[in-house]
Amino acid sequence: MKTPPEDHDLIRWLDGEMNAAERERFTSRLDADPALKAEADLMQRLSTDLRANLPAEMPVPFGDFFNSQIQVRIAQEELSENAGSTKQASWLDWFRLPGFATISTVVAAVIVAGVMILQQPPTAASVVLSTYAPSQGVQVSSYHSTDAHATVLMLTGLEDVPADRKIVGYHIERSETDQAVAATTLYGERGEVVLVVAKDARNQPRLLAAANSRG
Amino acid sequence: MKSLLSIALFSMTLIASVPAQTPAPPPTQPLPVVKPATDGKVWGALVFATNEETSTHSTEKPPANLADLPKRLGKVFAYKHYEILGQHLQDVFREYESWVVPSKDLFLKVDSKGPAEGGGVNLHLQFWRDQQVLVKTDAVLRSGSPLFIGGPKWRDGQLIFVLVLQ
Amino acid sequence: MPASTAPDPGEVPDSDLVKRCQAGDTRAFDVLVNRYRGRIYAMTYHMIQNETEAWDLAQEAFIKAWRALPRFKLDSSFYTWLYRIAHNVTYDYLRKKKIQGDGEFDDSRTEHKVAAGAEAVPRGDDSPDTQMKNAELGDRIREAIAQLSPDHRQVIVLREVEGMQYEEIAATIPCSLGTVMSRLFYARKKLQELLKDTYENAT
Repeated sequence: MKTPPEDHDLIRWLDGEMNAAERERFTSRLDADPALKAEADLMQRLSTDLRANLPAEMPVPFGDFFNSQIQVRIAQEELSENAGSTKQASWLDWFRLPGFATISTVVAAVIVAGVMILQQPPTAASVVLSTYAPSQGVQVSSYHSTDAHATVLMLTGLEDVPADRKIVGYHIERSETDQAVAATTLYGERGEVVLVVAKDARNQPRLLAAANSRG
Repeated sequence: MKSLLSIALFSMTLIASVPAQTPAPPPTQPLPVVKPATDGKVWGALVFATNEETSTHSTEKPPANLADLPKRLGKVFAYKHYEILGQHLQDVFREYESWVVPSKDLFLKVDSKGPAEGGGVNLHLQFWRDQQVLVKTDAVLRSGSPLFIGGPKWRDGQLIFVLVLQ
Repeated sequence: MPASTAPDPGEVPDSDLVKRCQAGDTRAFDVLVNRYRGRIYAMTYHMIQNETEAWDLAQEAFIKAWRALPRFKLDSSFYTWLYRIAHNVTYDYLRKKKIQGDGEFDDSRTEHKVAAGAEAVPRGDDSPDTQMKNAELGDRIREAIAQLSPDHRQVIVLREVEGMQYEEIAATIPCSLGTVMSRLFYARKKLQELLKDTYENAT
């Protein structure tokens, strides 16, 4: 779309894009043309309001998280690039095998193991060596957050805890294990029994809360 | 206290014996006669990350050396508030399982594999939700470097398990 | 060039951080993210007018910049280079949204309707800003900007927020100087139209 030159003049004047001579000529035109002057005033006012209400810098919500997510994505991309190049090399090796041309069909099975080898964090940091999520649909990722000085194990695909469920927390200070029956008694701040942990026939933990505990 | 333990253990026996169709329990490992040696102490907490202030009215506070825990969690998770729902200070027994149970809903089984090279302790962890293992992991836990486990969503936020070698 | 990028005294210069990034130092990149995230986010926010999407796009811009850093020759300031990447990411997103939204932004009507010498504040029965009457000026302005097409929103942000000269706008988009002037003119006319009630009530 072509804009008439007089409109170009108006915004060039407004945006300070005119040289001194052009500016002088346009100012004379403004003095002589009230409609043009009104238009120019309105545009100038709009421009001032825009600048006042559109800051050039804004605080980023959850700024720390913003930064750490960038670091995570960079680390993940580099990991997958490395994995990609390794995979490519192994496929090329197949092509180099004698007699490869006689193979008519190659069936590739990709087994995705839940074991991840992770980028090496600083030596004083905790390290996740391997992970395995038995439930289908649950994914695990892990990384070291230098900002938080923490190692993060992130689980996704988990079922939400129902909103009406009351999560009861304990404050446990020490434990005693009864070796004969393989049960552990957990004690609270005042030395009271809070919980007993034992195993059922399927070797699954059974947690029994004391009647006077918050549970 | 002793009577409660007896009742609890009796209940355990019942639970173990009721389902006739379940396989027989695995052979019990010979247990040490003395109190197991420990490879360290861990502090575990269940944290509710939320954008609403005082949504559970929990009064639990982290230990003094972890006063900056909410700030550190804020660098990983995108929530405004971090409330400790429960906490548990636990010896990590050598060659014997330990439990870190800040809540009955989400808890951790910890097996020590001994001290790690370069400091810390080698652990096998199982993160449980009720009767289900959510994740099993081998990790080296070092003091001053917490492990944050991003767990399930709850209400307007998320449940996070924190494990720290003290 | 976007607004001044002069570092504070004692601050590590961008060029040093860029070289460290090019050697694979992600901590150096973190410093650059800290330094410019507020400005990049402001741009994506003004362009998108949605906090979540603007946050994601700003992050995407930084990731793209990291990927492209090995090819950055420091022939412009880091911020100018970063800003162009962020701008392209955001503009592409808006264009796709426009296509999916099936004509959500319809500036063509305005461009044809507003002729040279036309009434400065066109009057119409179906003014789109009737719902904005009770909003604060800032909110009204943001709502008006949200109704501009990506092309028009782009020139307004580049000119009014970043304070770019026409040649810089033309190089960033990229397009001709004539197109810059034309778009700026019609974008402002459209904003005037959308903010008509605000200005009429204020006078």
